[in-house]
Amino acid sequence: MSSPQDTSEAVGAEEGTSQDSMGHEGEEGRNTEEGNAMDWPPQQQGDMKRVAAQLIEKYYFQLTDGCGNPNCNNPDCASSRKVGQLTSNEAAGKALQLFASRARLCEVVGAKGPRARQSVSCDVTDSAQAHTSATGGADSSSSVVQDVNMAGVSTPNTSLPPLSPQVERMNSPAGLTEETLTLTINECRSSNNYAKLRRLLWEVFSNEIALRHSFLQRSDSVQRRNETIVRSKSIDNTTTQSKEELRAQEGDLDKDLDCAEDISADEGAASSDKNGKVEERNNIKPKGLVLHALDISEVRRSYAHLFECPESEFGSTLMNAIVQLLSDSLSIQLRVRRDAFSAIPNNINIFIILLESPSLNTTDFIEGVMPKMCRTIGQLPEKDQALLSKHIATWEASRLHRLLESLHQLITIKLLTTEFTRDFTINDEDSITSATQVMKLLFYASIYGGELDTPLLKDIPSSDSFLENVSQNDDPFLGVNGAGKDWATRPPSKDSLGSELGIHVLDARTPLILLSEFYDDFLSDQLEMDRDFAYYKAGSGDKFSFLNFPFILTPATKALGLYYDNRIRMYSERRISIYQQVMEGMPTNPYLKLRVRRDHIIDDALVDLEMVALENPGDLKKQMMVEFEGEQGIDEGGVSKEFFQLIVEQIFNPDYAMFCLNSETQTFWFNPNCFESDAQFTLVGIVLGLAIYNNVILDVHFPPVMYKKLCSKPGSFHDLRDWNTTLYRSLVELLEYEGDDMEEVFMQTFRVGYQDVFGTSLTHDLKLDGDNILVNQSNKREFVELYSDFLLNKMVERQFRAFRRGFNMVTDDSPLSNLFRPEELELLICGSQHYDFMELMKNTEYEGGYSSETPIIQAFWELVHDMSTEDKKKLLQFTTGSARVPVGGLARLKLIIVRHSPDCDRLPTAHTCFNLSNILKGLECFDLWKLERRS
Amino acid sequence: MAATRRLQKELADIRKSGIKSFRDIQVDESNILTWQGLIVPENPPYNKGAFRIEVNFPAEYPFKPPKINFKTKIYHPNVDEKGQVCLPIISAENWKPATKTDQVIEALINLVNEPEPEHPLRADLAEDYSKDRKKFMKNAEEFTKKNSEKRPAD
Repeated sequence: MSSPQDTSEAVGAEEGTSQDSMGHEGEEGRNTEEGNAMDWPPQQQGDMKRVAAQLIEKYYFQLTDGCGNPNCNNPDCASSRKVGQLTSNEAAGKALQLFASRARLCEVVGAKGPRARQSVSCDVTDSAQAHTSATGGADSSSSVVQDVNMAGVSTPNTSLPPLSPQVERMNSPAGLTEETLTLTINECRSSNNYAKLRRLLWEVFSNEIALRHSFLQRSDSVQRRNETIVRSKSIDNTTTQSKEELRAQEGDLDKDLDCAEDISADEGAASSDKNGKVEERNNIKPKGLVLHALDISEVRRSYAHLFECPESEFGSTLMNAIVQLLSDSLSIQLRVRRDAFSAIPNNINIFIILLESPSLNTTDFIEGVMPKMCRTIGQLPEKDQALLSKHIATWEASRLHRLLESLHQLITIKLLTTEFTRDFTINDEDSITSATQVMKLLFYASIYGGELDTPLLKDIPSSDSFLENVSQNDDPFLGVNGAGKDWATRPPSKDSLGSELGIHVLDARTPLILLSEFYDDFLSDQLEMDRDFAYYKAGSGDKFSFLNFPFILTPATKALGLYYDNRIRMYSERRISIYQQVMEGMPTNPYLKLRVRRDHIIDDALVDLEMVALENPGDLKKQMMVEFEGEQGIDEGGVSKEFFQLIVEQIFNPDYAMFCLNSETQTFWFNPNCFESDAQFTLVGIVLGLAIYNNVILDVHFPPVMYKKLCSKPGSFHDLRDWNTTLYRSLVELLEYEGDDMEEVFMQTFRVGYQDVFGTSLTHDLKLDGDNILVNQSNKREFVELYSDFLLNKMVERQFRAFRRGFNMVTDDSPLSNLFRPEELELLICGSQHYDFMELMKNTEYEGGYSSETPIIQAFWELVHDMSTEDKKKLLQFTTGSARVPVGGLARLKLIIVRHSPDCDRLPTAHTCFNLSNILKGLECFDLWKLERRS
Repeated sequence: MAATRRLQKELADIRKSGIKSFRDIQVDESNILTWQGLIVPENPPYNKGAFRIEVNFPAEYPFKPPKINFKTKIYHPNVDEKGQVCLPIISAENWKPATKTDQVIEALINLVNEPEPEHPLRADLAEDYSKDRKKFMKNAEEFTKKNSEKRPAD
């Protein structure tokens, strides 16, 4: 007798081959079947085919492994020793023949292992069962026919009646239960022969019908709570109460159940009436979700039991079974009749059960099963994806994290092992794209399961005057996608998953796991952004574009995508203007030209830009050219950078009083009592937009809520924290105060005070007659919300609206709002503030005789690394024209150090024309400088 | 004024309580956000005089803490030359909107009577106070006699 290890491997291998041939032959088998059975109702063919495939499979195993009964007399059963040695292909062929002739099928006793082992090691239980269950040939085949008919005729809603373990094994469509599994495991453990378990796992996990019916809450269950449900089904009037009791008792479990099937209430009622099947309907959920009674805790317990067994015994079988399941019928079904799929109740259970598997993040699983699983999940209808996402949202963060890691790992493996060519890019690699799609489920699950901001974006009426300027492009996520011009052609399905779940990325306040965890740095690095962008622009849907999945791309990569978009637009503006000039003789300018005086920079820029904005806002999208009056210099980027820098300095100058500084957080907020006209704020908005458009980083300090507001999400209470910390903390104190004497302690009315930039105290009534309404326990929340709304939205509404109008003039038809979340937008405008000069050093290039080995270069870096942050900022200012770190860190700055002509009298000069390559000339003087500083 | 109601109540309460160490409270009718008052310490060396302070309430009071300034010069480790005082109870990190002004004043009086050399605003005075108490007392007494206000008669 061979050792358990050996046999398990043998079985695993055999299954591997059988699975291939079966998958292949199975289809042929079905064709035969159709020919044979024209009298069956055609609409049942799908189920019928499946049953046929299972039967052929049974014949196959009978031929190769036998039924396990040592006294078997079936000539077509390996156990009778009348079948010769067959290769798996021969066996498959024979199985088809047997199926066609409806030959006798033995009752399977247990193991499907090699005959040799069976005859020796058949344990007592097995043989006992074999004796009791051995049936005559005629009976058996008729029962098979019955089987086929039953499965064929029954509607998909039918849940098979609970069966005794034996019958259950006979009718593979019946689901697995914890009981059966535990029984089998114990049996296997006592005999130290896991063949039976393998067989069971194969039958259930390779068979979608079986899996679909597995781990359901059963009406005959002993569990009290199930009884409650059943009773509440039959006696309608007690439904609500018993359900509530139930919730109270099993809050946790109940949460798990939220991920259940969404089918119409009518269907659910019909099937439950007909079959007495347990279906809990959740009326609380707004969408009328029907809770399908998959018992998640049973699934988890079962997995726990299973994984107590040595994994070498069943691991490969389980995996092969799942691969079989996914690659065979499911994916075909999904490809052919995607819509019909979700009409079958419980189908989603299959995926929930698979996702619950503890082996999800083992390397074998990631490489072997994950790609197929991702592909299948990616093909699911959005509605079902949303359900899965909701299920994942009930997980603990650590678990979600592990699955995310697995997906990242899969992507990395595929990136490393696949050879990409011009014609086969990352966008064509199925495993990567489908993993990205699954990651999207996780992304939304993370938001859905975390803390959400209220109100949801969709609650804001877009016709509100507050949003007047963005209403056209503010929520592509909700399918309103009206974003002007060329973006109108994009498929609106893009983020229907979000709307299916009723959430929006902007609603995320505290997601389960940080949204930045979703960035795949490696993928972002490897991705050919120009291609991806082209696919994104084409928007036809037949080419996968990662820009449609912006969460996986790092901001730097997305910035590159945006850069292409901006450049394309600039060039097209230039073409149009040349065309106009030639064809219509109009004297137009292909550039956005600004002529400003240094000492009147705001006024001049305002006049110029206002003219443009009034006459032809489209001109803002031309490439910018700045000229300082009385100064020579062609603007290749450097002059505009200086222009931006000067104008930002002016705008935030306290004397200008457009913005007030919050000294605590060092951030600026709009001055609500500004004397300046709205046009000034529009100008600031235009400047911010132009900075993004022209790829310039600005030294502006707005609180994060400003960027959120730019993404058309109004500020709310929690946004106060990053802008006005003390106030925020005090309001939290107020909310947390539980005493009944609130009125006396706080003596706070619905009238609040605030200060303008000149220190004048002003008041505002949050409510009509606010001064006479005291804040108490019942209205404290309302007070805090009104107060926050006032500070963040109402107080600065006029200024902010003007500001955003300006911003949108430049960015309205760019994909900005689709690609960037508020915190990423901030990064895009301000750059990140991490001065990692090691990164800069690594990416610096040398010309004119310098190299990284040159002593003076080494001395230079030594000096730089010793610098204070202040000095580093100055150096950065000198070499790149901006003291801010660009998005993606200093590594994105390509510094080129060039040697001057040998005369050392000239001071170092910097060329800052091009953002991504900055040239520093002549380092000889640094030597002196260094000596000076050291002395 | 937004905080009027509360501040008026607090002002009335303090005046009514008649504490001896803080008196002569003056508030401009038009601006209840600024109070002036006389601190009358009991411990030496400050019991030789009285000190005028100004309490400034922000417009957002009570959601932001008041600020306290000494108008009378005082020789004290926890008060700097400009008269600014560092009082934990009204620091941005510790401020609670339920804290009343009388508690703040009480904390201030305690600090004047018992300097805290561990958290000084004037390190030189703190050092003298800890290491050479005699010298400190002498200097402080002289300074107080010279610069402080007259103590009220009763």
